[in-house]
Amino acid sequence: MNLSASWVPWPRKRGHGQWSRNMLTASVSMAPQQEPSRARKEAVPQACPSYRSLTVTARFPRKWSAVLILLAIAATAAAGDDLPLREQKAFQAAVQRVAPSVVRIETVGRRERLGKLVLGTGPTTGLVVSPEGLIVSSALNFLRRPDSILVQLPDGTRKPARLLATDHSRMLVLLKIEVLAPLAVPEMAPRERMRVGQWAIAVGRTFEGNRPNMSVGIISAGWRIRGRAIQTDAAASPNNYGGPLLDIHGRVLGVLTPLSPKPGEKVGGLQWYDSGIGFAIPVDDILRALPRLSRGEDLYPGLMGIGFLRSDPNTAEPIVAACHPGSPAYKKLRPGDRITAVDRSPVDRVAEVNDAVGRYYAGDKVTLTVQRDGKRIERRLTLVAKLPPYARPFLGILPRRDATTPSGAVTVRYVYPDSGAAGAGIRADDVLLSLVDKPLAGADDLRRQVALLEPGDEVKLDIQRDGTTRSVSARLGPVPEALPVEALPPARAEGPSKKVGRAARGKVMITVPEIENKAWAYLPKDYSMTIPCGVVVWLDAPGAVDDAGILKLWKPACDRGELILLVVKPANPTAWLPGEEAVVARVLDELISQYPIDANRIVVHGHQGGGTLGYLVAFRHRDLIRAVATVDAPLPGPAPSAEPVHPLAFYLVTVEKSPAAARIARSIKALRKANHPVQEQSIGESPRYLLPDEITRLAQWIDTLDRI
Amino acid sequence: MNGTVPFWSIVVLLLCLSIPSDVAGADDPAVPRTRPLAGVLAELQPKIVKIYGVGGFRGMEAYQSGLLISEQGHVLSAWSYVLDTDYPTVVLHDGRKFDAELLGAHPRLEIAVLKIDATGLPHFDLARAVDARSGTRVLALSNLFGVATGNEPVSVQHGVVSAKTLLAARRGTFDTPYDGPVYVLDAMTNNPGAAGGALVTRDGRLVGILGKELRNSLNHTWLNYAVPIEQVRPTVEQILAGKYVAETEKKKDRKPARSLTLADLGIVMVPEVLPRTPPYVDLVRPDSPAGRAGLKPDDLVILVRDRLIQSCRMLREEFQYIERDATVHMSVMRNGQLMEFTLEVPKP
Repeated sequence: MNLSASWVPWPRKRGHGQWSRNMLTASVSMAPQQEPSRARKEAVPQACPSYRSLTVTARFPRKWSAVLILLAIAATAAAGDDLPLREQKAFQAAVQRVAPSVVRIETVGRRERLGKLVLGTGPTTGLVVSPEGLIVSSALNFLRRPDSILVQLPDGTRKPARLLATDHSRMLVLLKIEVLAPLAVPEMAPRERMRVGQWAIAVGRTFEGNRPNMSVGIISAGWRIRGRAIQTDAAASPNNYGGPLLDIHGRVLGVLTPLSPKPGEKVGGLQWYDSGIGFAIPVDDILRALPRLSRGEDLYPGLMGIGFLRSDPNTAEPIVAACHPGSPAYKKLRPGDRITAVDRSPVDRVAEVNDAVGRYYAGDKVTLTVQRDGKRIERRLTLVAKLPPYARPFLGILPRRDATTPSGAVTVRYVYPDSGAAGAGIRADDVLLSLVDKPLAGADDLRRQVALLEPGDEVKLDIQRDGTTRSVSARLGPVPEALPVEALPPARAEGPSKKVGRAARGKVMITVPEIENKAWAYLPKDYSMTIPCGVVVWLDAPGAVDDAGILKLWKPACDRGELILLVVKPANPTAWLPGEEAVVARVLDELISQYPIDANRIVVHGHQGGGTLGYLVAFRHRDLIRAVATVDAPLPGPAPSAEPVHPLAFYLVTVEKSPAAARIARSIKALRKANHPVQEQSIGESPRYLLPDEITRLAQWIDTLDRI
Repeated sequence: MNGTVPFWSIVVLLLCLSIPSDVAGADDPAVPRTRPLAGVLAELQPKIVKIYGVGGFRGMEAYQSGLLISEQGHVLSAWSYVLDTDYPTVVLHDGRKFDAELLGAHPRLEIAVLKIDATGLPHFDLARAVDARSGTRVLALSNLFGVATGNEPVSVQHGVVSAKTLLAARRGTFDTPYDGPVYVLDAMTNNPGAAGGALVTRDGRLVGILGKELRNSLNHTWLNYAVPIEQVRPTVEQILAGKYVAETEKKKDRKPARSLTLADLGIVMVPEVLPRTPPYVDLVRPDSPAGRAGLKPDDLVILVRDRLIQSCRMLREEFQYIERDATVHMSVMRNGQLMEFTLEVPKP
């Protein structure tokens, strides 16, 4: 076959026909029209072949050339379709690209358990972030405070490592090794170009061998765990925690770590390993925190100290209810302020405020824009790691529960001896008109105002007695634990004069459509729809069923003390399940929607297992429950912190010979340490239900729950 | 007849022919042209079988998977309690049921070969199995959870090979006698019924046999893995040829008759007052292998023979597996530095 090159102008005047014209791509440049040179037998390669004179002539038939071209194009098409193979090569290339920066970390240490969580002792992964030897890893393997940390570089050499600092907000640690030659630092991927749905490869180095292990998935979401994490469905597990999450180019998107969406839970995400939900801390955030961590500074989530009325944060509007005394927000924001923006980004819900602030560390500054009395105000807060424990101040009175006078004044029912009120000379039947020159709007308002002050503060009160008004000064003290010894005067001046409306009396069933638990309530004898009653939510130990007995026991206390007894039973008669605390709250909500309830006297009362559930109900529904009274039940976890908006009081009945006695003693200590008032009572050696006079005492304690 | 082929068409031809060559992976076992998945699966499904046997109580499922490896109905599967019956049942993809006979099993490899009475069956050729490496796209075919019954074909999962590694560098990490190479998988194959299933490349070439439910005791996670065919093929061929002889229980970690002691090396450790006393050296006899090598008191033993040592007790246990006259490589921490030593008891 003889070939000679000849450049033929396009389009040809004659010859190939329509199909050739369609196949040619636009990349062929137009050459000026020229006469085609004649086909020649010998190849004549020109010395400097200009594009005008190149002609290829081939001896084989025209249709074979057509076939050849068709085949070639089919081959290209087929190659273009081989996406699975291309993707596979891309995965492998990406991992190979980052492999020199992925190290294996082994730890030697003593602790193997953190509470109930059994910590692994296997190797973990780390990512090199500086050529001088700074390595980031997941905090998981370092919670056990290892004595020795060994880093194995990709070339096999082992180096001892120092733990410089821990990031408690993002559960990462920073390690340092000494290196002779600079380490390879990977390329970081820009977060703003990250897209949900793009490839994500999770890399670890926990198995034997010189190649890292990998798992392929996608980016499932960009901003999780209060804006702190990227979510991926690549398998994230102890096999790659501490390692990088890559994009398809082999650039690092983030570092994998187990995170829990529940605030305060340190290692909650561990049980989600390999589940299709994995989290990685974005590399931008890591680099931003790096200077502080490399100086040895531990980082903590930043707190503001703002209390919101705790209904569902996803629907609640961000209106400040109270600011924790001594916190960054204290004295900068006021109750009633509505937060409209965080760092100039608009927010509309408490959850959005939490998300916006959740990514900051203690020590960071955040700007809040609030709406106050129609004016727009900006405040800059410096976040802190811990809020000073809240100590609720106590004035020393029990208010009367009559309908208050239209002006909102508060009538004093009882004055605690040795209290600030007593010291100021306040007596029963005095009418409190204003606090610090601000007229009161009822007992709840007085309670809220006092809660925002601190024990030791001197407050001015205007009181009215026998027709005259005077001012007194009272010094606020701490909330007492002891019950008043004497009988308390009645909370109400007059009883219900006439029955208003057709109120139900006695025992009623409470049904909630979606809940299978049985619940009934006892409405007291002189019940009327105008008198808000307190609620005792009785949660018995599972298995015990003695409705008649409980009713008989509580009937006198309810009738006397304006209390509704609400009995909720477990769905499974043999055990309370942890999720049922939501059920109890739901039933209580149902009761509140049907009958007027005094929010200050809602108490959860539980016996043993029911008591444990009672704690959970109270801690997870602080806006609902005011007090917890348990018999022979220890705390199921750490004590909740005290806060101005939602008070909690405790009445723990102890039994000497109970197997839980030691834990209950520790629980009491923990509650007191968290500044909650705890009333203790021992009922002897063996567990039993309360006797009538013990119920009377408990009821009296409940009666004092609306103290100020 | 002659015709002029224009230059542009040759350029296009050359361009087209040059493109595929960078796609064809030179070092990758997958065939350069990945076939459509449906076609691959249609070819594979008839080669996987569902196996039923003993179990069905206390969380121990009575089913697993197997692969056909010969036309006459030899089945390769995992050696497990499911097969601990006289006649396990094998069900093909089209629902045909057979009683199977156990031809042989290898307890350490944890594989078994069964035989059913059939002919003309599509099957895998073990000799044509390929290797994979981390990132290779794979398919796992098995009857996990026993979802497939009767004439339903088994389930298919897709993923990649996560790593190729040795199971258990550390003693007792995995509850299995097998200590050879495995493919760790990025696919949820660690499930009841998956054992004995097939691991193939995206293009349908056999890579491995799916393993049993194994838990990593070091980090408390379940392991998704498959055993490379290369590891089991020689034994399978022996079983098929009728030449298989069950090997004497070769414990992978047998203690030597005379093992090395710390005293032989001249090392005295700190007293074990805690359950996990950190392995600090207390004394070193001057004229001893340790003394001559340069070990000092207060050295913290970190690695012995490349194994991480967490406590004094673990150190003593590790030494029980070392021959008296072996050379021992030890790494210690001294003042924040990692130092390596080689110790040997001199022959008398």
